[in-house]
Amino acid sequence: MKSIVKDQVSIAVRSTLYALRFTVFGLLLGLILLVSQPLKIQAAEGDLKPGDIIGPNNWQKIKDMVGPNFLKRVKQGYTFQIKESKKFKPPREYVEATEKYSGGVKLASNGYLENYVLGLPFAKLDPNDPQAGEKLAWNFYWRWLGDNYKTGGATKTGQIIRYAIEKNGDERRSDLVTYTIFPHTRYMLDPKPVLPGYEHIDWMQLRVVGYPRDSAGVSTFGIRYTDPDKADDLYIYIPAIRRIRRGTTTQRCQTLAPSEFNLDDINSFNGKVTNFNYKFLGEKKVLTNFTEEGLPFRRKKGDYLPLDEKWEVQDVYVLEITPKDPSYCYPRKVLWIDKTTWESTWTLVWDKKGDLWKEQFAFRTPVKLPDGREVWSVATVVIVNVQNGRSTVLTAVRAHNRDYPPSLWSLATMQRMMRGGSVE
Amino acid sequence: MNQKIKLPLQIAGFALAFLLAGQVMAASFLGEGFEKFFKEKIRFGGFVENITGLSVGQEHFQFSTSPRFVMNRFTFQPETNINFHRRVKLFISWRFVVEPRYSMETKIRRRSVAPAGSGGSLPGDFYNETKGVPWEAVLDLSPSDNLQIRLGRQFISWGETDGLRILDVINPRDNTMFAPAAPNVFTLDETRIPQWGLRMWYTVRPVSNTIFEFFANPGFDPKKKRVDDISPGNDIGDGKADGDARFGRWSAQAETRVPLGRLFANPIPGNAPVVIPLTRREYPNAGDNWKIGARFTHNIGALNFGLGYIWGFNPQGLDAVFKVKGNPFPLGPNTGVRLRLLNDRTSIFAGHFNYPLGTYYGIPVKTALRGELAFYPSKPFNISKFPGPTGLRAGPDPKYSDGIVERNNLRYSLGFDRTTFIPFLHPDDPWRAFRMSFQIFQSVILGHKDGIRNFFNAGRINKVQTALTFRVNTGYLGDTIIPDFFILYEPLGNWVINPAVSYAPPWNERIKVSLVAAIYNGTKFTGFTGFFTQKDTVFLKLRYQF
Repeated sequence: MKSIVKDQVSIAVRSTLYALRFTVFGLLLGLILLVSQPLKIQAAEGDLKPGDIIGPNNWQKIKDMVGPNFLKRVKQGYTFQIKESKKFKPPREYVEATEKYSGGVKLASNGYLENYVLGLPFAKLDPNDPQAGEKLAWNFYWRWLGDNYKTGGATKTGQIIRYAIEKNGDERRSDLVTYTIFPHTRYMLDPKPVLPGYEHIDWMQLRVVGYPRDSAGVSTFGIRYTDPDKADDLYIYIPAIRRIRRGTTTQRCQTLAPSEFNLDDINSFNGKVTNFNYKFLGEKKVLTNFTEEGLPFRRKKGDYLPLDEKWEVQDVYVLEITPKDPSYCYPRKVLWIDKTTWESTWTLVWDKKGDLWKEQFAFRTPVKLPDGREVWSVATVVIVNVQNGRSTVLTAVRAHNRDYPPSLWSLATMQRMMRGGSVE
Repeated sequence: MNQKIKLPLQIAGFALAFLLAGQVMAASFLGEGFEKFFKEKIRFGGFVENITGLSVGQEHFQFSTSPRFVMNRFTFQPETNINFHRRVKLFISWRFVVEPRYSMETKIRRRSVAPAGSGGSLPGDFYNETKGVPWEAVLDLSPSDNLQIRLGRQFISWGETDGLRILDVINPRDNTMFAPAAPNVFTLDETRIPQWGLRMWYTVRPVSNTIFEFFANPGFDPKKKRVDDISPGNDIGDGKADGDARFGRWSAQAETRVPLGRLFANPIPGNAPVVIPLTRREYPNAGDNWKIGARFTHNIGALNFGLGYIWGFNPQGLDAVFKVKGNPFPLGPNTGVRLRLLNDRTSIFAGHFNYPLGTYYGIPVKTALRGELAFYPSKPFNISKFPGPTGLRAGPDPKYSDGIVERNNLRYSLGFDRTTFIPFLHPDDPWRAFRMSFQIFQSVILGHKDGIRNFFNAGRINKVQTALTFRVNTGYLGDTIIPDFFILYEPLGNWVINPAVSYAPPWNERIKVSLVAAIYNGTKFTGFTGFFTQKDTVFLKLRYQF
């Protein structure tokens, strides 16, 4: 009896020691791996190749490559195929400007950009730089977007098509178009690089609703100034009273109903760079789509997911954005910024409790400049309010570098707005 | 309107409608080029709407006011945009309205006080608009990038205000069909009367919004509409020289109106009135109806402002002034006096500004400030002497035998617009803002005289008249439920409340259903809203856009 117990104890001790050895070994191995892989958020993308079908049976392959809500939809049954990754090249003029000017650009201690002229402000990002986050934010802000563009200009209808989708699948459509100009960062259109008299303006945007009829003609004219301390200007034209009203842009958080966007959600992040804190969270691979084919993509009515589009793997930087103003609506926002185009592929927002609030993904598509060169454009953007179940899908393909006169962006244009009419 | 212009336009309008309707047919015989042009360059839209109004005002001892229908107005408004070229565009719309007149309305309007014959019933089709004349028809030309010209039947709106107007007086307004000071019932755009004219903008410097604007309206419009929006008297005489007044829907009830001449009535009960006014509206000739104006706008920093000038016939009903013509004459046992509408050729010196207020000393003001100003030099007013001679309530002022005095008049407004979050009032979406707007309006008569009166109700016009407005709106459930509340208050004690709630279904962006109320309070002899005390009405609007 005594010997049986003794044997059993011996077996138990040996088993424990055996297990412990592996545990220690595992811990040591993990520690070595962790130390040797600085700032790389690993994803299970190694298995993905063109032609692969992703669905509920193998969702693990794309974990961390897509937003959590999208991943949940995959687990619930959404399937799609992987395709070859499209590699865009920034326009030559933009690259040349970066080479010429980025060396002189500095970031002040308060985050303000100094000596910026043209191109990408910070051509090289050092992950160990304590200001890497701010530099990434400025790179995003000054990514190539053309000298001007018409959003909606390259869709089939010539307008942005937007659907506001309710939780129960009801949909409402709205069409609009925007015209944007970057007057002091001109790469291709004369006069270069700046329109005389516009040195103090980063961009101007005219936005015109085209449908439905009662909203048609409602227009906004927004101006972003170079001075970080100067608030944006906003004018609103209301056809029902034929008046231009002055708006205040300081309420950045207001919902642009019936969509789920607010002012700062436009283009993924539209806030003033100096109003936020930034943290560079590393690099990763994500799933996105840089060659959207259906414009807009085919989807089930009442749902925002594309039925036929294929997805591809792209490399991104991960940027965390937190507000300086504690009363700001988004306590935390994360962008996954493509390394080549500096466009945001995914945007995630959390609320004060740390719960996921909104998730946004944006497709791209190749478009041609007037001289025939290929560039990229935003295509379809989807934003999902995970908490209330509403979503917005908008297809917004851009036509760049159009022959628009500067006078298009003025109050005279708004005064002659007609319902359903065009300003060009 | 000139017949030479009218008929071809009608023909053009119907031809266009035919082309639009016959797209397929046209493409088949005009070729693919037309089909491409049609698809890319022509946009078709519009709406159909039905508005039903139910009077809910308190009853008056002289007539039964409510509940009764006061409106069932069906409107069909098709609109077409043709983008021929970036420098040549055409917009054309038609408005077709059908509205029956109800027997109760007819009976009420037949009741009248002296002089006999006034208060005649409305023609049955008075509110109908079925003639096919384009509502708006504008040709936009851009000879250069900085010069834009608009020709045609159009609206020209200056100003920064909401609900009431100060500078928005270039186009007249049709007060015969809408509730005053109730912007949730009809928008300004639906009640303005378009006019033929020319408008031109020249952008001198786009970056500072330095723009020079010029307009000229020759006034080729139906006589009735030229002298426009008579309110609250709402003398909608049809231009016939029969002297009969016909009171539109939004007239004060005939029995409660006190025309200026009535002030000369004998105060002894039972005695016949001493003076019977014969009011005749002689419309100005087309040549007298011109309006021209110009303005200059500019930005200095964040301040946007404009200075301008308007010259021409003043179309505002509340400014209508009647002049005594000739000498009093015997009229049976009484005395008659002829009063004729004074063709008010007015000058208006105009100014406006807007400015965004930010955060000051840590206080988040975050409000858009706006203002406008209209200065009328030597503006005519009706004047009487109170009390009148030998016990009469009023009489002619001995200094102003024609009943007219001219004084400088300054009108201005200041407005504050703010969007704010009120989370506890918006559990659905705490970040869906409430848009709020507060306005103050004032009119100052410089060198004021005590006998200055509004003609239609003989109400006193104070040296300084003030009105305050407040408006707030938001959207619930993804903007499917849209409340909008407007209130106007005059310190004299009059007010208007105009609440509305609309439903826009989440499954169709073209449909909208609205329930609107216009509730008035005050005394009819003060201000202008008090005059409509018995006009409380609830409306149901059903609208389909296409």
